[in-house]
Amino acid sequence: MAKGEYLGEFEHVVLLIVLRLGDGAYGAMIRAEIERVTGRSPAMGAVHATLERLERKRLVSSWIGEPTAERGGKAKRHFKVEADGISALKHARRALERLHAGVSLRDATA
Amino acid sequence: MRPPALAQALVAAAAPESDYEMVAGDLHEEYLRIMYQRGAKAADRWYWAQTVLSIPSLLSYSRSNRSPRRRIGVALIAFAVLLAMAAVLMAIELAAQTVFGNANAGGGRIWLWIMYIDAVVFGAILARLVRPDGVRVAFYAAIFLVLCFVVPAVAGHPGSQAPLCAWIELSGVIPAMCIGAGLYQAIRRRINTAR
Repeated sequence: MAKGEYLGEFEHVVLLIVLRLGDGAYGAMIRAEIERVTGRSPAMGAVHATLERLERKRLVSSWIGEPTAERGGKAKRHFKVEADGISALKHARRALERLHAGVSLRDATA
Repeated sequence: MRPPALAQALVAAAAPESDYEMVAGDLHEEYLRIMYQRGAKAADRWYWAQTVLSIPSLLSYSRSNRSPRRRIGVALIAFAVLLAMAAVLMAIELAAQTVFGNANAGGGRIWLWIMYIDAVVFGAILARLVRPDGVRVAFYAAIFLVLCFVVPAVAGHPGSQAPLCAWIELSGVIPAMCIGAGLYQAIRRRINTAR
């Protein structure tokens, strides 16, 4: 994996959330799910900027849906994880597992 | 049942053109959900917090063409706009000298405000020329302009020494250009939405 292709921490979170939600996940849904699962409340702009970065890396793809009344007549941008996104997640997981191997958190002191 | 108008305008000014509708729609959807659950005041507070926290991220990206050719083109346009901005200021100064016999007639404060108004107007012109990245480009162009004056002074170039307050006043050009570009984008998007 080239240097620029590694997942940042928030990119990792967003990619996993899009995968959890399945095809068609969109900004508000992704932000709410991040809040529900991780307890952190990211800015909507940060979620969209991260999704754009993931799309530029070809880890997710997007398409524009129909405008709806509950969104003030504005359209949604739906996202889905691509094959490269799955590979990046597998790679990140393997790297984390290797990092954790041989480390005991129970005995560690802060 | 509408989010705060000023916050909406800020989102319209900062969001990239390609994503404005989606970002504003997502914020609107969550705003309505919070309003039904916790009331209008809580929803307004949430919308304002989201707007303020989102602005840096929204300004940081763009879905527009990122080819080197386009980047060079945008840089050249921004440079030309900065030159035009300086030329207008010099023309006003020359006109004041001709009419009043003294370029500083009215005092330094008036010149400061003329410089800021000039920056707002040319920020809007730059946003029009480099659509859809107006505010981002205006921000970087203004920083470049300020650095053009600050770097020689810091490097100790003779004739570039000025008191600290002069640099602070000059750096007011950065928000002024961003305000001009943001106003242009917000008005344009309002008109497009109304259509």
